[in-house]
Amino acid sequence: MAVYKRTYHSYAGPLTNPLWRFLVLQRFAFKAVMKSRFLLIGYLACFIAPVLIICMLYLNQNASILAMVKQKPGFLNIDGRYFFNFLNFQAVCAGLLTAFVGPTLVAPDLANGALPMYLSRSLSRAEYILGKGMVLGAIISSITLAPLLLMFAVQSSLVGYAWFIDNFYLFNAIVVASLLVMSVFILLGLAMSAWVRWRIVAGALVLGSFVAGKGFGAVINGVMRTEKGYYLDLQHLLSSVGGSLFHNAAADEPISALAAFITLMIFCVGLLLLINRKLRVCEAA
Amino acid sequence: MTAATTHIEPVIHLKDLRVNIGRREILRGLNLELRGRTVGLLGPNGAGKSTLINTLLGFWKPTSGSAHVFGYDVKTQARHIRELIGYMPENDSYIADMTAITFVRLAAELSGLPQGAALERAHESLFYVGLGEARYRKLGAFSLGMKQMAKLAQAIVHGPKLVILDEPTNGLDPQARVRMIKLIQEMRALGTMHIVICSHLLRDIEETCEEAVILKAGQVVHYSNLEEERASNRRFVEIETEGDDGTFADAIERLGCACAVGPQGRIKTVLSEGIEIRDLYRLAADRDIQLRRLNYRRDSLEDIFMTAMEK
Repeated sequence: MAVYKRTYHSYAGPLTNPLWRFLVLQRFAFKAVMKSRFLLIGYLACFIAPVLIICMLYLNQNASILAMVKQKPGFLNIDGRYFFNFLNFQAVCAGLLTAFVGPTLVAPDLANGALPMYLSRSLSRAEYILGKGMVLGAIISSITLAPLLLMFAVQSSLVGYAWFIDNFYLFNAIVVASLLVMSVFILLGLAMSAWVRWRIVAGALVLGSFVAGKGFGAVINGVMRTEKGYYLDLQHLLSSVGGSLFHNAAADEPISALAAFITLMIFCVGLLLLINRKLRVCEAA
Repeated sequence: MTAATTHIEPVIHLKDLRVNIGRREILRGLNLELRGRTVGLLGPNGAGKSTLINTLLGFWKPTSGSAHVFGYDVKTQARHIRELIGYMPENDSYIADMTAITFVRLAAELSGLPQGAALERAHESLFYVGLGEARYRKLGAFSLGMKQMAKLAQAIVHGPKLVILDEPTNGLDPQARVRMIKLIQEMRALGTMHIVICSHLLRDIEETCEEAVILKAGQVVHYSNLEEERASNRRFVEIETEGDDGTFADAIERLGCACAVGPQGRIKTVLSEGIEIRDLYRLAADRDIQLRRLNYRRDSLEDIFMTAMEK
């Protein structure tokens, strides 16, 4: 660096738009997350299934290849159930990634009081949460929303316009169900990161929320001979909403999709309040 | 509590500012108008210094009254105020896994600097605070003094108009403290920013500030223009003489200086305009009087602080 620059002078250059500064947080956090090779390998592994599935969609319509195995085009029934099962599988991957990525987002800022450094600038708590949440959002959407939409596009282009029109509900289902999965995982990851100091414990709690909810729900159902326990089972709630959206709801589904959706929304609002409360305490520390 | 009557917008203007945290009233009707380049904020623990800073930053909303920074209301224009402020918190404020350059660059980009400019300014700021050679080291591996400097670098990287330094010399060894004080003095001399320093160390305030505000139990108990105090102190002289037959004090008074005679040849005098110390030496030499001691009054900030605390 030039010696003349080793002194202080005020800045008079252009400034970026304050509305988009939260993207700076997202960019720095994403870079930090992707520094971990272990996580990067895990993330890339999440694309194996989508690639295989898209290849299968192609093969399913390729008459010459199918003829070699004595099958006709369209031997696989590609419908809501197919997409729903694939989303379930990718959601499990998303859950595992959240358990690894989530705790690295907020906890390092709180560990050494870096929050006032962020929030003493023109950045609100909401923008901070948005910026950090977008890291998980980008990761989760890239392994759920994006591949499912790609699958839908590939299948539509291979089968034709009629399939596209008949199954257009899948497009809505993919978007809504993926956004729901993203919201739950993002907020759960951020909340655990904000409230639990140790990364491993926070990661375990992200996964534990699903297991514990299922366990408690089953106990309540068993002891009280009711079906209200399902309201504590996050996985069941997500499946219930997803099943309904993909026209794949179980006939004996104990809770309605609407009730499950409302419960999930209440859960998300609760997590948001938890995150906000923690940040509020730390910002003026 | 006005520093000087000027037409320039005050840096900080508080009008009957009250802030409650929970049910407790922390700031109790603060009235203050600060225009100085460097202002010291003093007070014992629990006086409300940090609450005042947090209110200026918009972290706490005023319960009643108003607070303005550069004319902007903290209630409604907190975001704009934050654009003009650089804040160095009292406690640890860093990300252990981050290198100093990334940390300061992040701070610069969050303040609105484009990526290229942010990186350049981050390098400059770190060199300025003396961390140039350590800028690629992780903050978690820094000593306490280096962390303080890194906090200062992130506070000034975007060229703020007002820098708030909360206990900047906290935990520093004497060498690091001197370096920090020197930096603050340099920043003051640059004249491009106003500085508010919150400190328990009266010496720090005395060495760096033009004005001092003393808070106690959420109220302003004293405002002092240290520059004026220093100037008036320089006119107040205490002399101890030997061989004076009582005429020395009269001679000083004849020069137009107010004078008070104490026991054992002690004289206190306020030098009037145009009278210098050498005139006193000349008077003493003419009368063959020995001046055994000659002191300027040192009404230090500590005296001012202790008096304010007794109020």
